[in-house]
Amino acid sequence: MKRLCSTALAAFLVLPAAAMADDLDGLTPEQLLPLAQKEGSVTVFSLSSRIAKIEAAFEAAYPGIDLIGLDMSSTKQIARVEAEQQAGVHAVDVLYIADSPVVFTKLLEEKRIVNYVPPRVAGVLEDRYKAPLLTQRLSTKVLMYNEKAFPDGSPVTNLWQLTKPEWQGRVLMVDPSQRGELLDLLTEIALHPDEMAAAYKAEFGKDIEVEDGLEGAGEQFIKALIENDLIMLPNSDVLNKSVGDVNAKNPPVGFGTYSDRRDNEKEGWALQVANNVEPANGILFPAILTIADKAPHPAAARLLIDFMFGDDTPTGGPGFEPFNVPGDYAVRPSIADHPDSVKLGELKAWTIDPAKTAAARGRISDLIITLQ
Amino acid sequence: MTSTSLSVPSGSRLLRSGFLLPAALVLIVAVLVVAPLLRILLSTLTPEGLAAWTAVLASPLSTNLWWRPLLNTMLLGFSVASGCLLIGGFLAWLVVLTDVPGRRFLGMMASLPYMIPSFAAALAWGTLFRNSRLGGSAGFFETNGLAIPDWLAWGLIPTAIVLIAHYYSLAYTIIAAALGSVGADLVEAGQMAGARRPRIFFGIILPVVTPALIAAASLTFAGAVANFAAPALLGLPVRMQTLSTRLFGMIETGQNERGFVLALLLIAVSALFLFLSDRLVSGRKAFITVTGKGGRTKRFPLGAWRWPLFAVALLIGLLTTVTPVLVLAASSLAPQSGALFSNWTLHFWIGEGGGEIAQGQAGIFRNPVLIDALWNTIRLGLVVAFTTMLLGLALAYTIVQRKGTLLATLLSQLAFLPLLVPSIAFAAAYIALFGAPIGPFPSLYGTFALLVVAASAHNLPFAVQSGRSVLGQISADIEESARLTGAGLIRRLFAIIFPLAIRGLFAGAILVFVKMVRDLSLVVLLFTATSPVLSMVAYRYASEGFMQFANAITLVILVVCLAASFLAHALQNRVQKWKEQ
Repeated sequence: MKRLCSTALAAFLVLPAAAMADDLDGLTPEQLLPLAQKEGSVTVFSLSSRIAKIEAAFEAAYPGIDLIGLDMSSTKQIARVEAEQQAGVHAVDVLYIADSPVVFTKLLEEKRIVNYVPPRVAGVLEDRYKAPLLTQRLSTKVLMYNEKAFPDGSPVTNLWQLTKPEWQGRVLMVDPSQRGELLDLLTEIALHPDEMAAAYKAEFGKDIEVEDGLEGAGEQFIKALIENDLIMLPNSDVLNKSVGDVNAKNPPVGFGTYSDRRDNEKEGWALQVANNVEPANGILFPAILTIADKAPHPAAARLLIDFMFGDDTPTGGPGFEPFNVPGDYAVRPSIADHPDSVKLGELKAWTIDPAKTAAARGRISDLIITLQ
Repeated sequence: MTSTSLSVPSGSRLLRSGFLLPAALVLIVAVLVVAPLLRILLSTLTPEGLAAWTAVLASPLSTNLWWRPLLNTMLLGFSVASGCLLIGGFLAWLVVLTDVPGRRFLGMMASLPYMIPSFAAALAWGTLFRNSRLGGSAGFFETNGLAIPDWLAWGLIPTAIVLIAHYYSLAYTIIAAALGSVGADLVEAGQMAGARRPRIFFGIILPVVTPALIAAASLTFAGAVANFAAPALLGLPVRMQTLSTRLFGMIETGQNERGFVLALLLIAVSALFLFLSDRLVSGRKAFITVTGKGGRTKRFPLGAWRWPLFAVALLIGLLTTVTPVLVLAASSLAPQSGALFSNWTLHFWIGEGGGEIAQGQAGIFRNPVLIDALWNTIRLGLVVAFTTMLLGLALAYTIVQRKGTLLATLLSQLAFLPLLVPSIAFAAAYIALFGAPIGPFPSLYGTFALLVVAASAHNLPFAVQSGRSVLGQISADIEESARLTGAGLIRRLFAIIFPLAIRGLFAGAILVFVKMVRDLSLVVLLFTATSPVLSMVAYRYASEGFMQFANAITLVILVVCLAASFLAHALQNRVQKWKEQ
């Protein structure tokens, strides 16, 4: 009897809440605000400590809602959300997270997160940024070179040049078996076999022969690159110093983060993106905003995600400005690219598809491990 | 004492027969260690997990995923353990048993490197030895025209050297604590029998401190095997992978099951190693040195060797402490991470916000979060050091008292395992285990208590090992006498065991405190946003590319550890007055 009562009570409480969550998706910020204020706070795990700036701006814009921001790498966010939900704890509302292929398999497929697209921007975002998960901005892993040592532009114009003897031991990358983004980069190359084959022909003047056991020109490229003494590093700090040092005579090139160029002056670097590269110079990957399953503050969570898409000004206003740096790209079209960066449309990088990458990266990871 | 009758004891006898303590300990260790490990093991028994076992052990990947990293890991573990025993043991001997000049100073220097994060030592190595393999600016030696070969700049050898430089102070702390309790009567007996100095050393002192040597070897071995920063910084550029870098990579790229399989295998291999070393100790006679009769330690006169040996010890200290601290300090003052010794500024410490430097961020001492984090860190370190040492002492007591029994072997093996479990796996298992209410116990999620529980488990090996090496030397007849006069277990613990073991306990507590204050990975998953600790603040800065802020905070952490260590030394001398000269 007691059990029946509690079940009924639970149904009474949970059903409307579940129905409400659906309703919440359609509400405007003005309609969300009173609900969110009633909830009182919103907890976000963030891959960037710039969430501190968002906290100040959000609390100024929407008084009465306490934003609790916790910096955590994507890997740790995933581990924590998995462990929490297994324990039946639902404490976090919003994840601001990269590493999308892992998010896709470990969180989305397991229904640990739900996708939410703020109605205010739904009409202007391209479809690929709205599903399966909402993208807030794009970050990069692209070929970077030293613009002081190579004043005439990038010394590399075709990825296949990196497999030639003159680049032996002079191409750097954070170890792709240690960092997801670099694994995603190599996976993306493998997912474009035709373009890699065409680029091979353009460079060497003949058709590529793919070895047994490898699938396509992309995988052949990965093998050739690693066998040409690709140097793997522990972190991007080392990479930037090695590639970008203004005093270097004949510096190497490396697959790094375009937006690190913003630190050139401060650090004494001359990092520049190698944009004129066939068939592409690397990848654009999404920074995702998503809501945790059974988020304790569903209205405030939606309000925050809406807020982080910025306002109608070209810089995006206080909700987006902390992320408006050269080499990071807003997906909201009204926000202009930073004046110092190559326009998004002109950047020769592939934008990854988390689902496709998730399906293929296991094989590429294994390939890299066997080649090391 | 160890022979309890087989018949079922009555309630009051249960208490008296010393059955209760072991039973409680088994329960605690089961909850703290076995449960999370089981959780990890279970997650590798799913279809995905089984595929991961196959991939790691029997597939084309095995060579690079398991065998070569295993070989590197073991080479690293053994070379670091032996290097640490040699250097740590040498320094401990010098400081505790000889009349070398500046003993206090040398002792302090020798306990310092463990407080400096290992990545600082690795960075220091790079500052000196980096060659042109990576391009960019070379290290000190190449800049000055000395070509550094790859094997000296990258890979196993520099990694081992850096880890020895980091962990020898752990060995020093444990061995020094044990040497401090070698009674003068033993040495004098040897001298009276006409034994020469080497004979006394190898025939008397060495056997007596063997448990401490084994403890030091086990902990430094495990530390080297589990260390991530040094092999990642120095090994990856030449594609040297260890089990810890592999494990980190697997988790980082979302292949959790493979990561857990590697972790379990690493635990198995290290447990085997520990088991063998355990056999080594239990196979020989115990040497009891704290008998209640001996006088204070007698010092060997070094004669003409006083100053040369002082110079050697000083050099070791300078190279392993001053260099990394200098690099840390310089990098907290230099606006550019590439040019450490130019354009110094105090901005990152005390600068006002809003300027051009550091994207407008104010210096760390103007950051209100810092004081908060400092307080949290100290509180956490103290609480964890206390709970862990209490538990560690109880465990060590039981293990020593019941030496050779299955219970003792089991407890000592289990207590050692947490050292080898990667923190991220440990923390995730803890959230999953204690996040939900268990029976009458409320959920510990997000509480300080959960962090203390997890951290106590994680630090248990240190507490047990240092407790063991000290307790192993306390004579049973002291306790026996007390028991005859009717003193209960609690009374005996506080009146006899604690005072005699206090030196070793403080040494262990310091290790735990330091480890806790430095630790990040465990904390970052378990703590909530509202209670920052220093390592989290440092990580936050580092992940945003503000290395100077991160380094400045690392120095603050170092200062906290140093202060704690001074305090402990002072307390040690107060409570063991009979050791004073």
